[in-house]
Amino acid sequence: MAGSEANREPRDGGGPPEWMAMALDTVPLDVRPLLTEGVDPFAAVMEAAAVIEFGGFLVIDAPFNPSPLRRILAGRGFSSYGRKLSEGHWRVFFHLDGGADWESGAEVDVGPEGAMSWREDDGIHIDVRKLVPPNPMLAILRLIEGLSGTDCVVVHHEREPHFLAPELAERGWRIARASNEMVNVRLWLERII
Amino acid sequence: MFPGSFMMGAKDRLLPPSIPYRFFVAAVAFHLLAWILLLAAGAEGVIGFVGGQGLVLAALHLITLGTLAMTAMGAGIQLLPVATRRPLGPIWAIKLMFILYAPGVALFAIGLATGLAGFQHGGAGLAVAGLMLFAVLVGANLRKVNDLPGVTLHAGLAVVSLVGLAVLGLLLVIDFTKGFLPDHGAMAAAHAVLAGYGFMGMLALGFSYVLIPMFVLGSAVPDQVGRRSAALSAAGLVCGAAGSAMGLAPLTVLGIVLGLVACGVYLRGMAASVKSRMKKRLEPFFRMVWVAWALLPVSLVAGLAPALGAPADPWASLWGFLLVFGWLLSFVTAILQRIMPFLASMHSSALGGKPALLSHLAPKLPADIHLACHSAALFLIAAGMVGGWVWPLRLGLIAGLAGAISFGVYTFMVLRRYRSHMAAAAAANHEG
Repeated sequence: MAGSEANREPRDGGGPPEWMAMALDTVPLDVRPLLTEGVDPFAAVMEAAAVIEFGGFLVIDAPFNPSPLRRILAGRGFSSYGRKLSEGHWRVFFHLDGGADWESGAEVDVGPEGAMSWREDDGIHIDVRKLVPPNPMLAILRLIEGLSGTDCVVVHHEREPHFLAPELAERGWRIARASNEMVNVRLWLERII
Repeated sequence: MFPGSFMMGAKDRLLPPSIPYRFFVAAVAFHLLAWILLLAAGAEGVIGFVGGQGLVLAALHLITLGTLAMTAMGAGIQLLPVATRRPLGPIWAIKLMFILYAPGVALFAIGLATGLAGFQHGGAGLAVAGLMLFAVLVGANLRKVNDLPGVTLHAGLAVVSLVGLAVLGLLLVIDFTKGFLPDHGAMAAAHAVLAGYGFMGMLALGFSYVLIPMFVLGSAVPDQVGRRSAALSAAGLVCGAAGSAMGLAPLTVLGIVLGLVACGVYLRGMAASVKSRMKKRLEPFFRMVWVAWALLPVSLVAGLAPALGAPADPWASLWGFLLVFGWLLSFVTAILQRIMPFLASMHSSALGGKPALLSHLAPKLPADIHLACHSAALFLIAAGMVGGWVWPLRLGLIAGLAGAISFGVYTFMVLRRYRSHMAAAAAANHEG
């Protein structure tokens, strides 16, 4: 069943890795109920990851692409492959193999502050969740200072960045719109015309 | 949804701008009033001052309570909920805090200046009530926060120091009329340690760990640095305050040494963040931060002289001056200079128009004049105190007043530019 769901909508660039066929039988750890209750599932995921032996698998169901988690687990040797199954439902497969395939084909850049950025149809996305303040602001400003043209920037944050707006304005940018869903605050940034 | 209205979201919303600004405007007004009183006291009143009621003591408390603590309250009520992502408390409680505190400070200063016990007791009571309300709100906010040790540990120390300094302060005020304390000067020194290094100093260090990296766009200071400086500061404060209260020189000196080590840890952490900054050119407000950081260790070293038995005139006076006017007032006015236009810019897009630029909201000339006058005042007054020279001290007092007027002009211009921006945004909305 997991396999049929996972094949519905490939999300990351490139095809699924070879090891994924073996991961499909793993029972997913669904963190969505925890998030709905306002509980950070980080500890539960780390606990589950800690007992995985080399060559083993971990599957997480989340309401969004948990990029910071993937980055952290990559540092512990987990390759990962994520797919969007439906709106508000992502399934991410982790394989403890030394992290060789982490985000392969996803064309993700990791900045000096540890923020991941990648390009999608609606603009350049940057994920600053799990970064210690003021590193989220630094990562966002570093990204926009390096942009030319009319690119829109979509920020994935875990808190409302109150102090960002003045610094954006100083650089000719503004927050065009924002949404706040559980721990996924999303901001759309654009140049001030 | 306007980004401004998003920023005013329910979870960790910004306060309406009038709330923190009433604290900032009061702080600027008390700053100005303090220098006027010092000038009225004259160089002869300042030289040889080692305590006792009168214009100098009133001016000192207008700076400590009126400017330093008032700014800490205004900044704290706005920054803490944002930093900790927890609400600080109901707005009515924050308004009540101001209603109690601001008139309390004014009454207390009048009482100290005139020697009227009723004003002293009433003013001190109101001011302490306002401070205790602040302590309760901050304490409740920090109770379950464990991811910002640099901020929460120092803020916790500040709250504990606040309780201690308030108790000692009330005892000192009552002692003016009852005369029951065995050594009024020793208790006043302990009160000064807890107020200067404890309450205000710990708030300054704690907020630095958030504000300085954010303002210069530098890297975050590691939690371990904050934990170390808090632990060393706590030990230093206990030794320094107890040693001063009991007249035990070795204990006081140990407190000063621990304070210097804490100061070293803090300044190294700050230097690392500033060195890694994205902004190559530091903003004008940072010049005042340099002055403050230079005078923090100097004030501690200056404290060694009275601790080791040097005459209170001029050494205790010099220590107090470097602590209050050198380290704390320089730091607080630097933060005010940056935070007032920063908050104005944050609120400026609430009506949906273009946000006001920070660089446009902050006028440079009054800030430059304030820096020059404040620095001149520090140098001239310190030199006048040590040498017993009237003329340098008199010039220093004039420079201090000129600096305070410039800072008042700076504040007025920031608020006027913000109001103009909001009026234009409202008009554009109305037409649109």
